[in-house]
Amino acid sequence: MGIVHGQEMVLNIGPQHPSTHGVLRLQVRTDGEIISEIKPFIGYLHRCFEKHSENVTYEQVIPFTDRCDYLASMANNFGYVVAMEELMDIKVPERVEFIRVIMGELQRIASHLLALGVYGLDVGAFTPFLHMFRDRERILDIFEMTCGARLLYNYMWVGGLSHDLPVGFMDVTYNFLDYFEPKIGEFNDLLSHNKIFVERTADVGVLPPDVAISYGVSGPNLRASGVKWDIRKDEPYSIYDRFDFDVPIGEGIKGSVGDCWDRYYVRMLEMMESVKILRQALSQIPKDGDVHQTIPKKIRPPKGSIYKRTETPRGDLGYYIVSDGSPVPYRVKMRSPAFTALSVLGEIANGWMMSDVIAILGSLDIVLGEIDR
Amino acid sequence: MSKEREKLISDAVEKAIAGDMDAINNIEDRVVRSKAKAALAKAKRLQKDGSSPDADLSGSDVPTVSNAPSENPNRMFGDRINQKFPGSLDGDLKDTHIQLKPDQWNDIAIWLKTEDDMLFDSLQCITGMDMGEDILEARYNLHSMKYRFAIEIRIAIPKNKAEIPSIEQVWRIGDWFERETYDMYGISFSGHTDLRRILLPDDWEGWPLRKDYEVQETYHGIVVPKVKEGWE
Repeated sequence: MGIVHGQEMVLNIGPQHPSTHGVLRLQVRTDGEIISEIKPFIGYLHRCFEKHSENVTYEQVIPFTDRCDYLASMANNFGYVVAMEELMDIKVPERVEFIRVIMGELQRIASHLLALGVYGLDVGAFTPFLHMFRDRERILDIFEMTCGARLLYNYMWVGGLSHDLPVGFMDVTYNFLDYFEPKIGEFNDLLSHNKIFVERTADVGVLPPDVAISYGVSGPNLRASGVKWDIRKDEPYSIYDRFDFDVPIGEGIKGSVGDCWDRYYVRMLEMMESVKILRQALSQIPKDGDVHQTIPKKIRPPKGSIYKRTETPRGDLGYYIVSDGSPVPYRVKMRSPAFTALSVLGEIANGWMMSDVIAILGSLDIVLGEIDR
Repeated sequence: MSKEREKLISDAVEKAIAGDMDAINNIEDRVVRSKAKAALAKAKRLQKDGSSPDADLSGSDVPTVSNAPSENPNRMFGDRINQKFPGSLDGDLKDTHIQLKPDQWNDIAIWLKTEDDMLFDSLQCITGMDMGEDILEARYNLHSMKYRFAIEIRIAIPKNKAEIPSIEQVWRIGDWFERETYDMYGISFSGHTDLRRILLPDDWEGWPLRKDYEVQETYHGIVVPKVKEGWE
């Protein structure tokens, strides 16, 4: 007997639903439990980032970038200031570059911890979530110690930083790394190789590399499909070319390359690489230097435009900035990695069961703040 | 628009042309300021007499060399596009971007994506732009994962006939990027299968990122608060 078609129905998930990771609405057409079509509706968190940016000065855009991807604010700041500095041709001191890399990598660990913990929740594992949140909290404490904020930092400025590192930062961060490194083994025992978790995620929602590239999927999601592409390695910005680290890719250990488990596990491996970068950066950072030295008094980039992308925890974050020579941007466009990652959902979730759609969505690690901007 | 406003704008534009951009940037009212900027762009365009509309924004200082082989990817691929699709270039080759006419864009896109020695398989970004009073522009940042080339393609169109062939089926992310550009600028991408607003509600009026956009007064009976004085 072939497939028996029942009556199709259209269901609505969200916009207020815990497993949609924010205010996302999915319209799904199902036949029983099997999904035949899925359409994401976004825009519930649209806060007019691009319109606001055209009405404030270049410095004042930075707090808005914080609020786009609120789980990786440092990375968003980083992308914006790197783009602005290239547009204005500013060279920042060594110490600033090192601090930025340290913050960027700490942020990557914090963001991945949240992504993986919440992913565990999505597929029914509660305990790993608590473990990962406990460790993420330590990173937020480090950020709080550095700039006073726990979530929205406004820490990186064009040409420098808002504050220098506080006294005792090195000890706290080294302590954290010593504490955190063995924890990854613990996470693997708790979740990664857990039989129930593997059955829920391995071979589910396979994303082939060509589809991923066509949909603009980037970052860990793209690498999980077996494409070795990391902007930190392939188009190095800041001082990433000085550090020795690997780019983990999906190998299909539990199922096939590009399934949900690979997307999960690539993030786990990336945290190890971030720890490696952090150790190198902490040991090489110059002892002195003024982090305010190269901050321009008045930010007035020359006429022109720039498209610059950086690697955030979620993938390629691009800023397209157009300057008309005034202190107010003519146009700021943000190309957000979560936006492109969500667009592929309709392609890979077809034919799976309802519960698998939640697993696929969670594995893409979307942040609605960044999708809607 | 009141007489007073018009005078304010024309004064500011005159000063700005003389080199004092502050005259425009110091205008407090946001709407007036953006109108002044649009008027300035138009005035400059008229001055330059038919030069490309974005001349005042970018690329104007770059000297143009015709068809000389060069390392710059925008020149190199612009030249190749011109050979393969004669008449598709809009203006001269530049270092910063390739300016195309909209007509053959879909064919060019397919060619760029599939030609063996380019393989621009990754569409990074589509940025809409309001270039001045009646020109809109879509900018495409393309990247080749294999050869690591990056180029930027720009297509300018008049506001009253804002239509560009869709590349939704070439790069699948084009679907959402085009919807976003449509949402913000009202550029309609012909051939797009599902062109509707993406970030804003379906019944929103106007195209918010155009420089002449005026905030609606009410939305479903909700009064939209006015922008406070001294916002900046």
